[in-house]
Amino acid sequence: MNSSAIISLRGIRVDYDGEPVLHGLDLDIMDKEFITFLGPSGCGKTTTLRIIGGFIEPLAGDIFFEGKRINGLPPYKRQVNTVFQRYALFPHLNVYENIEFGLKISKLPEKERRQRVEEALKLVNLQGYGPRNINQMSGGQQQRVAIARAIVNQPKVLLLDEPLGALDLKLRKEMQVELKRIQQSLEITFIYVTHDQEEALTMSDRVVVMKDGEILQTGTPQDIYNEPANAFVADFIGESNIIDGFMHKDFLVEFANDLFPCVDKGFAPMERVQVVIRPEDILILPAEKGKISGVVESVIFKGVHYEMMVEALGYHWMIHSTISVEPGTVIGMDVAPENIHIMQRMEEE
Amino acid sequence: MKKYQYAALPYLVWSAVFVLVPLGLVAVFALTTKDGAFTIDNIARVSNYTPVFMRSVWLAVLATAICLTVGYPLAYLMSRMKGVHQRTMVMLIMLPMWINFLLRTYAWMTLLENNGVINSLLRLAGLGPVRMINTQGAVVLGMVYNYLPFMILPLYSIMTKIDNRVIEAAQDLGANPFCVFSRVILPLSVPGISTGVTMVFVPAISTFIISRMLGGGSNMLIGDLIDAQFLGNAYNPNLGAAISMVLMVFILLVMSIFNQFDDSEDREGLLI
Repeated sequence: MNSSAIISLRGIRVDYDGEPVLHGLDLDIMDKEFITFLGPSGCGKTTTLRIIGGFIEPLAGDIFFEGKRINGLPPYKRQVNTVFQRYALFPHLNVYENIEFGLKISKLPEKERRQRVEEALKLVNLQGYGPRNINQMSGGQQQRVAIARAIVNQPKVLLLDEPLGALDLKLRKEMQVELKRIQQSLEITFIYVTHDQEEALTMSDRVVVMKDGEILQTGTPQDIYNEPANAFVADFIGESNIIDGFMHKDFLVEFANDLFPCVDKGFAPMERVQVVIRPEDILILPAEKGKISGVVESVIFKGVHYEMMVEALGYHWMIHSTISVEPGTVIGMDVAPENIHIMQRMEEE
Repeated sequence: MKKYQYAALPYLVWSAVFVLVPLGLVAVFALTTKDGAFTIDNIARVSNYTPVFMRSVWLAVLATAICLTVGYPLAYLMSRMKGVHQRTMVMLIMLPMWINFLLRTYAWMTLLENNGVINSLLRLAGLGPVRMINTQGAVVLGMVYNYLPFMILPLYSIMTKIDNRVIEAAQDLGANPFCVFSRVILPLSVPGISTGVTMVFVPAISTFIISRMLGGGSNMLIGDLIDAQFLGNAYNPNLGAAISMVLMVFILLVMSIFNQFDDSEDREGLLI
């Protein structure tokens, strides 16, 4: 077990009605980090969070908190707090009483309770909202109350289950920045669950990409984006062109009927691989100068860039570029060696 | 919605003819003599029946309390069940209501009689006959048996609205099972409690069938008293109307006190 890990999961297995949801999950969560479980619905990310919160008992495996095994410990005895999906605020209590709930249960004196609640309200920018009723608050405000209600207890770990899912885009972006700020000022561990890759990349120190109850890749947002472990991760994190190819030797790959220098090595000679190229990494050149030539099929303006679909050798390439090219034009394409990502072929299902 | 306010017309006519007019007639009867002269003697005479009133209130309170004690945990368990189990339970609760009220009460008579089913079994076990019929206990039993569904169903329908995540949030914030109950589930089910109590207390305090069949002559309730003034030997509709009016005012008073309590629960959130 890692010494600086605050939470460690070892061989966690969970079944729902005989269907495996998590099969043998291992993970160390470091103290004070912002870690995000990212994956499509049904990948087991929320289940993992609920295991840490104590709402689900794993079928097999151990869970450690600061080195102590906490299997079977009920939620109310765990030193973690949760920000629930869709807030789950107490409808019979006002904002102040909602936040005070945990402190009242731990029998803190009235004076200290008041002080801590006021601090929490300030941290989430809701000073003066204490006497309001929950149903008088907007979705974004309710979300802040839910965050304040959890952090006021000064947990060592805060669990957040898709907390921004019900908010509109603009508010979500604001809250992402807010959450990161709160995490940094409190210096506690945030475990965040989302299916939104952009959210994961924006806030996290580390991202755990999950699929079908397994961890596909763990790494910094940069690692995950630039060096996806396989085609699923590449596809899930942003847009990607994924092409079949052969690895001729170290640093040389064949795809699209041509040889390209690359920075990957360690594959068997002539091993079949998958090549991942991000749309923004494809260079647009005059037709005769590119290694691949293709016909522009469509151009869509996306604000910062244009998104173009280019047909070449039967494959439809996606290109993001700040210049636009008329549909029907024949263009040349090239990719720099460091922008070519070679991955082992995934087993097709 | 103003466009559709005429849709309420049939009910308005109905309630004018069959609710307001009869209520007015009750008031007129209560405040007149046999010859039609104004008097408050009838109202004053009601105080002669204070013991009957006290007994009715006491038995109705007792039956309501038992219904709440029995019904509350069951309603909570039902509200946390899923799908088929939940529907089956609701049907089992409703099932006795499909059988005629009189028939159900007759069945209890047969069970509780001195030579009834239960006493026969007790005799076989050597425990001798126990007097059950014509006791206050039998009346309360009849009330609880007949009105229990009216306690369970409103409680159940309020409790199904309590979001499981709110309960989980309480656990997450350190609430042990007792705390979860006292600080979240109980306050959130207050509207169900007040509806359930109303729906059991009101019919229980004014019943006359149950007391007559299971309570015998010595356990007369207000309902029996009123019945006797209209259909019995005591025939005195003016007094019967007066007793009805006093009972009605009493029930309204109790209910408004109860609703006050319910409201203040809601308002509490706004005070601090």
